[in-house]
Amino acid sequence: MAIDCLVLGAGQEVGKSCVVVSINGKRIMFDCGMHMGYTDSRRYPDFSLISKTGDFDNALTCVIITHFHLDHIGALPYFTEVCGYRGPIYMTYPTKALAPLMLEDYRKNMDRRGEDGQFTSDHITECMKKVIPVDLKQTVQVDKDLQIRAYYAGHVLGAAMFYAKVGDAAMVYTGDYNMTPDRHLGAAQIDRLQLDLLITESTYATTIRDSRYGREREFLKAVHNCVAAGGKVLIPTFALGRAQELCILLEDYWERMNLKVPIYFSSGLTIQANMYYKMLINWTSQKIKETYATHNAFDFKNVQNFDRSLINAPGPCVLFATPGMISGGFSLEVFMQWAPSEINLITLPGYCVAGTIGHKLMSGKPTKIDLDKDTQVDVRCQIHQLSFSPHTDAKGIMDLVKFLSPKHAILVHGEKPKMATLKERIQSELGIQCYCPANNDTVTIPTTHYVKADALDAFIKSCLNPNFKFSKSSSVDKSYSGSNDSKAIPGLQVSDERVAEGILVVEKGKKAKVIHQDELLHMLGENKHEVQFAYCFPMRTERLEKTRSEDLPSADDLLCGLDKCTLISLLSTKLSNELSDGNIQDLGEQLQVESFCLSICLKDNCPHRISDSVQNDSEVVFCCCSWSVADEMLAWKIISIMNNYTLPLEGRLQVHI
Amino acid sequence: MEQLVMNSIEQSLDNNQPLSFQTLASIRSLVINPSTSDSTLSSVLNALTRSLQLSRDSVFLHHVVKLLTDLSSRCPHLSPVAIDLLRSNSLFTSSDSPRLVGESLSALVSLTSSQNDVDDARFVSLCLSPSVSVRLWLLRNAEKFAVRDSVLLAVFLGFTRDPYPYVRKAALDGLVKLCEKGDFDDHDVAQGCYFRAVELLCDAEDCVRSPAVRAVCGWGKMIVVSTEERNKQDLADAVFIQLCCMVRDMSMEVRLEAFDALGKIGLVSEDILLQTVSKKVLGMNKEKIYKPIEGLEISASGAAGAFVHGLEDEFSEVRMSACYSLRTLTVFSLRFAGEALNLLMDMLNDDSTVVRLQALGTMHHMAISNNLKVEEIHMHRFLGTLFDSSSAIRFVTRKILKLAKLPKLGLFKLCIDGLLGNLETYPEDEVDVFSVLFHIGRNHGKFTVCMIEEVSSELEPAFGGKLGFDSTRVAAFLVLAISVPLSHEKDARGVPPRIFSYAVTWLGRISHALSDLMSQETLLAYLSECSRSSIISLADFKIKDALPTVEGDMPSHLCSDVGSPVRIPLWQQDGETSDHHHTKLWSLGKSATHAEYELGEHDELRKSLNLIFRKVKDLWPLVQLGCTNEALKAIRACKEEVASYTAESPGSAGAVAFTLQYLRITKLLVAVWEHLMLTKKLNPYGVGKLELLLAKLDRRLREINNRFIGLSKGEELQIMDLIVVACLLRLSKVEICCYETAMKKLSSTISHVEFLHKEGSIEPSHFMVEVKKSLHEVGSSIGGNTCKPLLFKKLVDSFSFEQFVLCASPRYLNAELEVPGNDSESPLPFISGIPASIPLVITLHNISSDNKLWLRISMSEESTQFVFLDLNLIRGNNEVRKFTFVAPFYLTPKAVSFTLRVSIGMECMGETLHLVKTFGGPKCELTYLSPEKEIFLCKSTKC
Repeated sequence: MAIDCLVLGAGQEVGKSCVVVSINGKRIMFDCGMHMGYTDSRRYPDFSLISKTGDFDNALTCVIITHFHLDHIGALPYFTEVCGYRGPIYMTYPTKALAPLMLEDYRKNMDRRGEDGQFTSDHITECMKKVIPVDLKQTVQVDKDLQIRAYYAGHVLGAAMFYAKVGDAAMVYTGDYNMTPDRHLGAAQIDRLQLDLLITESTYATTIRDSRYGREREFLKAVHNCVAAGGKVLIPTFALGRAQELCILLEDYWERMNLKVPIYFSSGLTIQANMYYKMLINWTSQKIKETYATHNAFDFKNVQNFDRSLINAPGPCVLFATPGMISGGFSLEVFMQWAPSEINLITLPGYCVAGTIGHKLMSGKPTKIDLDKDTQVDVRCQIHQLSFSPHTDAKGIMDLVKFLSPKHAILVHGEKPKMATLKERIQSELGIQCYCPANNDTVTIPTTHYVKADALDAFIKSCLNPNFKFSKSSSVDKSYSGSNDSKAIPGLQVSDERVAEGILVVEKGKKAKVIHQDELLHMLGENKHEVQFAYCFPMRTERLEKTRSEDLPSADDLLCGLDKCTLISLLSTKLSNELSDGNIQDLGEQLQVESFCLSICLKDNCPHRISDSVQNDSEVVFCCCSWSVADEMLAWKIISIMNNYTLPLEGRLQVHI
Repeated sequence: MEQLVMNSIEQSLDNNQPLSFQTLASIRSLVINPSTSDSTLSSVLNALTRSLQLSRDSVFLHHVVKLLTDLSSRCPHLSPVAIDLLRSNSLFTSSDSPRLVGESLSALVSLTSSQNDVDDARFVSLCLSPSVSVRLWLLRNAEKFAVRDSVLLAVFLGFTRDPYPYVRKAALDGLVKLCEKGDFDDHDVAQGCYFRAVELLCDAEDCVRSPAVRAVCGWGKMIVVSTEERNKQDLADAVFIQLCCMVRDMSMEVRLEAFDALGKIGLVSEDILLQTVSKKVLGMNKEKIYKPIEGLEISASGAAGAFVHGLEDEFSEVRMSACYSLRTLTVFSLRFAGEALNLLMDMLNDDSTVVRLQALGTMHHMAISNNLKVEEIHMHRFLGTLFDSSSAIRFVTRKILKLAKLPKLGLFKLCIDGLLGNLETYPEDEVDVFSVLFHIGRNHGKFTVCMIEEVSSELEPAFGGKLGFDSTRVAAFLVLAISVPLSHEKDARGVPPRIFSYAVTWLGRISHALSDLMSQETLLAYLSECSRSSIISLADFKIKDALPTVEGDMPSHLCSDVGSPVRIPLWQQDGETSDHHHTKLWSLGKSATHAEYELGEHDELRKSLNLIFRKVKDLWPLVQLGCTNEALKAIRACKEEVASYTAESPGSAGAVAFTLQYLRITKLLVAVWEHLMLTKKLNPYGVGKLELLLAKLDRRLREINNRFIGLSKGEELQIMDLIVVACLLRLSKVEICCYETAMKKLSSTISHVEFLHKEGSIEPSHFMVEVKKSLHEVGSSIGGNTCKPLLFKKLVDSFSFEQFVLCASPRYLNAELEVPGNDSESPLPFISGIPASIPLVITLHNISSDNKLWLRISMSEESTQFVFLDLNLIRGNNEVRKFTFVAPFYLTPKAVSFTLRVSIGMECMGETLHLVKTFGGPKCELTYLSPEKEIFLCKSTKC
């Protein structure tokens, strides 16, 4: 049994997330994103690797989309409408609601730039009809064997991590997630699950970020200073997500500082998005959920709609414009107008894809930017880099991996060298096998295989009854327990053996069974065998003068009986002096300590005796002992006490079976 | 019917047949039915006793146990027999069904308080039986049985291995409780428990992980205490890091527990503390491995960023807890305190008020323990809180400023500007702001002199020889200026003497603000002394000695260690003091109880309410000075603030309602005071108004006295004070005095006070003692029956408004009345002359069936009718009862339509009605629990 993980996108890069995972015969495609940095065929994942013939319906069990960002959903209409996938698609309710907005916005921008659209408005509508929405922590039975479940991921509204389970193999695909809350979204939240595989994003594989309060302070200071000086602030963002977070932040600040400078939203899209946010309160952070009854945090008081004519209107303002990264569209248009003035401010998002203007502005401080062959923009304005990012940092990734403790981890959605560093950390610090495959690579990992077994009555009963034991290693005599425990344990340990104590019986052609140890013999139809040790050894006696009369066996027996008793009681006293613990029982003719049993041997040819060690029959009396295997240590200890200053110990073991 | 059932029971018992389930069911209905006679019940009990000998079926026994429980709770006089039966062997020794034993045990525990039914061996054997529910119940209720602690420890420790999560949870809870008892000094045992708790930190269930955190904290402290001295530090560090590892748990409860626990670990070394405020692993902590006990290893990197995460947690509860825990930890290291302050300053931007308040609280704590080091970059944000809309936040900020010692003139000016801004925006803060200014001035003599020089032109009287001191700003500067001669800095001189004479014109307001430092006379003497000469030798000036040595809000145990009583030198890094704190916290770490630190963050509300009470008390001098309007305005502001608390938590409704009521009373008192105490003559219509006010006051007082339960004796006494004042006010005015009634009420109140005094051994206030004394005098000359308004007036003068301290959370007796679907458009029908029925939906809160409730239905003053509500007939618990009640109204008039006013009143014992208005009505005065509800009736058109 194994999980095959084919990385179609976001392998050692950021963009077009797409991972196809085969578990126990089920094939799931996680995310179906497009790469924003390319306009050619590299834009989409190479779907031909899934099925040469293009029969995706049979090749895939389902498609799961984690959130509505284009690098996670952008290729979906293409895949369903152009490539012809007709199977089930799962995503959360907010993602289903917001994804068409994102796709439509993207498509319009493409059209505006004159690129070939790849998919149309109708495609988007049709594609969305195939989507099955899911709720958080709702377990969906995709088919007989495959279960999926969504967990809150933070990141953007409706983002989810997905858990998938087929048979015994289970995995989690995180998509993008955030382990710290922000002004409008909560932190990722997941149960402690038994996982074979965790596929996690690693955008910030090595970065450790400070508290968000510091970032908020910096941002507010920069914006306030700019508008106070009469400048204009351009905040290029994605329409959904950061725009709302920053807007909540600014709104709050505007209220507190009683500022009157207008805040604009560039397009109807964002206004519409705000409407969705207002409805999807359940997916926001705790604070917004709590205060929702009195004031909806997405009811912005200071925000107005932006009109193109306002671009060059006098006076300060703050403008949220799409798209982020200034890759084109309206934000580029405004950028060209505002960039040449020193008093203006451009705030850049935390991450810009290589090739966009945002990326150029971030790398160094350019004075001129070439838009294309003919256009060049002077950049004199202030640039503030927002370090707001909805992605978790390296510590967050480590924390999540540590919390889930999967058997294997795969890193995607990050930059190659940084991923390698993180991979090393996961392997060395957490001891979890980790991989970071490149695009179109396949990683195969073994999975746990569970055998179903019947349990018999006695075993079940023993499971029901608590059976815990305490062991106190420090107080136990080392000579008994032996120092075979190489791993040191604390003084007091508790263990409950009721579940552990079972025997797995696998018979040919039958279902495996778990049975209690008492049941084993009965089941196998065998008798119980015990290993018994026996040893007969001489003990020197000085006082004993024994007359042996063959004629009077009865009297002799009587006498010897008396003799034996005295001897035994003598030995018993001696032993109790020497042995600190152990329950010494004097049974008249026998001496018993646990299973160790000693009696005086009168037989001349005792099978357990070692004859050559005997020198003088009259001076010794033979002690015949037997014990079971459990008390071996104890037995040899007693024997050595007995023999202490007499004969050198030489024994012969006899084993009865 | 009863007989029928009994007969069938007898029959089957006589035939030696066990009772059928059907019979048992009918027995049950007999037991439940309230009208079943006692004799029947006792014969039912007999029958059950007999039937026990006939059947041993476990299902049957299960039903019998249930019946016996119900029976004995239904009639207490039968319960001894029932309990004996439950104890008897037949139920207890049925070892085949531990479940049954568990049931009878829980029945026994619920019925009796004796613990002797279960001994150690029995407890253990029951726990070890296969029934999980019994095991869980036993573990949860372990303390109800007389089981030895060592046995309990073994059982609890054992069951932390149980496969059922709730059993594990119960076992861990038990371990924590045992640890708190602290009777185990066996190091091995503590280690074993700690080890197990650490293992359970990785449990799959949230409900196990959070008690595991508590257990790690408790037993961790235990092992720290029981090891020898040189290992203690490392051990404490290891336990601390172990807890830090849990702050990233996915469950909010676990995180909350983790932060609560972090604050409880005593001594933590600086390296580890610094690590908790940095997400990056610091160099000194790299590869630092702790081995608290053999078999456990933990790396110092586990602590990375614990507090950074905690302070930006999604849940405000966790953020609060993190802030709170910082408070104990900042004492250990100045460097850590600095780092923590950076984080805390950011918390002032938090969107939740309680978190902001907690952050400020922690800063205040840091200030008193000498390690608050505010830097310039923080100043802007910190002073911003002086403009916060919540007065509690402003108050705490000022409290911190009182203790501040600023190194630069610039910072000092910023502070003063902030305070002036505060004063401008929120004039109601005047008293406190002045007091803070005075303290700051004393702490920064030289800066104050500089400042006063700059603004001296503003302080000069306006042109034309007239003093134009009407601006609060000027007053603020004057307060600042007059503090200079009392400065702690030796050579701070140079405030022109005339400033002091200007200050005299503000004497009332200033002395009011400084009332905690000096009396008005002292202040006057001081000001006039200072205005005479520019160089004052304070050595012979007695004021400095007369000044109280302790600032109001500083814990005394800390003050005793600091050289100067008022000033806390914030900038001195005094090795000795910090050592002192070290040892202090050491003992804290050792002691098992942290009453001081556990006085939860959860009674934030009560804290802020007490702030309000304090504010009200501070207002009283204003009233005495005759600034009634200002006082009323401030009280109104308080009321608004209190009203805003209502939404915060449902459990606090009682405390909020109480505070509101208290404020209403104060408002009325203030209003009455104005009429009575001022020298100005009462105008003719004033009498009527005063009478109205007094009546209203009486009603309000009656309400506060009767509608709140769960007040402590001390709190009740304070209310009694107010009632007495109200009586005295009435008595002191001849025009409105209704002498006998008022005297009667006065004496009954006083005797009640005496009763409370005896019962609770609380000293009555000075005022009360005075009143009692003079009442005695009046009593001796009572034969004359002359009113002595002057005597009463004197007594009223001796009244001083004490600060009310709310320590319990009172419950609020409240009622709601509703007539569904009735308004002026859709009235209820009636036929004149025939009683009309009014269907009322009534909701009662916190009213027990001992209270006597009346419905007051009135058409006009003359036709008022009372209907008694018998609560014994109404089901529901004491917290909330909701029921429909059809009230009859008998005196329907000959009219087409009319309206009725209905309200619910409660009889207050002890206050007899002096005028019996209606027959069959209440005998005592009523306290109304609901607002009046108007009900519309219209002549029925059908007939």
